[in-house]
Amino acid sequence: MLNFAPTEEQEEIRTLAHTLAVEQLRPEARSAEKRGGITLELMHTLMQTGITTPYPESLGGSGAIEAVTYALIAEELGFGDGGLAMNIIGSLMGPVAVLLAGDENQQGHYITPFSDEQEGYMRYGSFAFAEHTGGYSLEEISATARKEGEHYIVNGTKRDVIHGGHAHRRVVLLRLEGTTGTAGLVLLSIPGQPQGMHIVTDMEKLGLVAAPSVSFRFEHVAVPATDMLGQSGQSGVIRAATLYQILRAGVACGMARASLEYAMHYAKERIAFGRPIVSYQGIAFLVAEMAMKLDAARLLLWRAAASWDRGAEIDTLVREAATAQHQAIEIAKSATIDAVQILGGAGFMQDHPVEMWMRNAAAME
Amino acid sequence: MIDFTLTKSQQAARDYAHQVALEEMRPISLECDRTEKIPESFFKNMQQRFWAGAAGQARMQAREENEKQENILSILSQEEMAWGDAGLSTAIPGPGLAAPPILSQGTPEQQMRFLGPYMDGQLHWGALALTEPGIGSDVAGMSTTAVLDGDEWVINGHKHYITNGARADLVVTFATVDKNLSREGIRPFVVPKGTPGFIVGRIEEKMGLRASQTAELIYENCRVPKDNLLSGRESSKKAGFKAAMGTLDATRPMVGVLAVGIARAAYETTREWVCEELPKGFPPQKRREIEDELEEFRQKIEMARFLVWRAAWMADRRIPNSKEASMSKAYAGELVMKVTAAAVRITAPGENSERKHFINKWFRDAKVFDIFEGTAQIQRLVIARRLFPEIDIP
Repeated sequence: MLNFAPTEEQEEIRTLAHTLAVEQLRPEARSAEKRGGITLELMHTLMQTGITTPYPESLGGSGAIEAVTYALIAEELGFGDGGLAMNIIGSLMGPVAVLLAGDENQQGHYITPFSDEQEGYMRYGSFAFAEHTGGYSLEEISATARKEGEHYIVNGTKRDVIHGGHAHRRVVLLRLEGTTGTAGLVLLSIPGQPQGMHIVTDMEKLGLVAAPSVSFRFEHVAVPATDMLGQSGQSGVIRAATLYQILRAGVACGMARASLEYAMHYAKERIAFGRPIVSYQGIAFLVAEMAMKLDAARLLLWRAAASWDRGAEIDTLVREAATAQHQAIEIAKSATIDAVQILGGAGFMQDHPVEMWMRNAAAME
Repeated sequence: MIDFTLTKSQQAARDYAHQVALEEMRPISLECDRTEKIPESFFKNMQQRFWAGAAGQARMQAREENEKQENILSILSQEEMAWGDAGLSTAIPGPGLAAPPILSQGTPEQQMRFLGPYMDGQLHWGALALTEPGIGSDVAGMSTTAVLDGDEWVINGHKHYITNGARADLVVTFATVDKNLSREGIRPFVVPKGTPGFIVGRIEEKMGLRASQTAELIYENCRVPKDNLLSGRESSKKAGFKAAMGTLDATRPMVGVLAVGIARAAYETTREWVCEELPKGFPPQKRREIEDELEEFRQKIEMARFLVWRAAWMADRRIPNSKEASMSKAYAGELVMKVTAAAVRITAPGENSERKHFINKWFRDAKVFDIFEGTAQIQRLVIARRLFPEIDIP
């Protein structure tokens, strides 16, 4: 039955996330960009709300992650600040991948420390998805794993791995050698830095500077077979990867909404030729267009998330999540660029956040 | 709970409409477009399919499901109809655009009196007359007048671009009762066919939607009974204007969904063309570019469809939806032009074929979707005014 209204519970969580976004993330955004990371205080605050521990209560969490609910949260976090939102979600995806794809033993071993009330907030996860030869598309994954005895031999590259430099374990999306499409995708949770794994820190990033990232290069890296999450061929790998796409789309929608609202506010206040600039159709139509495209992209996102929650077939999930991610990033890019345009010269200055948002959106690719 | 799945009855309505589109519309589509005529058999078949038997039962069953879903059911089938032929879909017997103002502004007695006859198993149409030469979305400037004379309203004026205007059994006609009141003086009147002084003028020849009948209507001292004024539910001064605007909030998603149907038809046919009619020796790199472009269209068609679904869902729940209705219409109207134009460009190198004839037709059909029920510019104005209620955006 068609329905475009979140549940009451989801609305409550969204309100909580919105408050965090406005009171914690937005004011921190510039300093987080300068620092190139999130503060432990903010991590601690977030953990206390339960937002950063979406694991079952048996693993010490606040309840297992759901895509629609978390897409709503991701949008709010992205509304607060895209860089910090990606910092948070980039970390979150490590344990969440283990939750979705790993066996019980792996879940207990890997996730429980993240739920630790004293030290959990100081822990980072990471999820390596995109590669130098492609984007965040499952079909394009070309880094490989090959079984050899008790090990997998890993080859290939990964880029823009948020927290990849300091995460305790690094979850990496790979394909079994010789496979194509989405069938042979696997996740390895790599401990430490095994021989042949090269890590290069991303320097002078264009955007998302508050989400520190690295590149990986694997040259015949041997990873114990026990570090594969679950069994190959299980749906958990795809569910983890598509959830990452869905949450990225959520953050992108939040970035677009932040720009839209900021530009709306500015266009009401700024007077030119005796009238607020939004009373001119040149500006009014541009704002209308931003709002329309954002709504369209968000609906695609909600559809993908709803499919994820009801356990839709893998092919459906793969298509819908990729579509949502692509269109959400498109609107994030265009809305942030349009916001800078609406602010005019002021938009180019760092007194206003829109120039940072424009760089952040472009860095989502 | 956010949900994009359809109920069984919704799916059934859509599947049924798809079958009708495939069996009744596509086979005569190109011929009707060429001749600007529709065979009588089409009307009769449509009457059978939508007002009798299984179709009637499906409607009743849908009504029994507790939630109101008339707008959703309607847009689900309209997308399929437009996929078949948007021009023909406007000619399906029924009250058409006359229904929304009668339902929203008519008293129960008026609803029975005016809509009852549509259930008699005969061929009937309805029409809505708002547009005048020189008056489009700016309805405040309307020049058609209605003056009360004893027990009758006397209507004088000139309407044009009226869908089904010449075949409609009744035309809901908007006229002003007092020009000084500007848009608040506008009222809807039901004018039955054959009323003395109600004259059908010329039938337009058009670039697209050629199967759809577009008529000029002239009112010369046209007298209708006093109680043909639809003023039922709201007695406020704004009732008439609200009826006009409320009609648009309901019809804009409908127009949007027709655009979605055409865009989807053009997208699917272009894909088929790429698979089956691509000329030999076509560069593989170019083919990949076309496939990427088509994938982008597939995604945008989904977004347009969801915008329409949301607007219709809000309408069914009586949630004010002007902004969302305009978004759906603006997005879909622009998209259908882009998709059909790209389809013409992509298929240009091929041999002459039926697929290309269809694509050429849809390209011609598409343009009006960015124009009628408010142009692209008007839609943006509506959206912007809703986003900035406190600012005067002229």
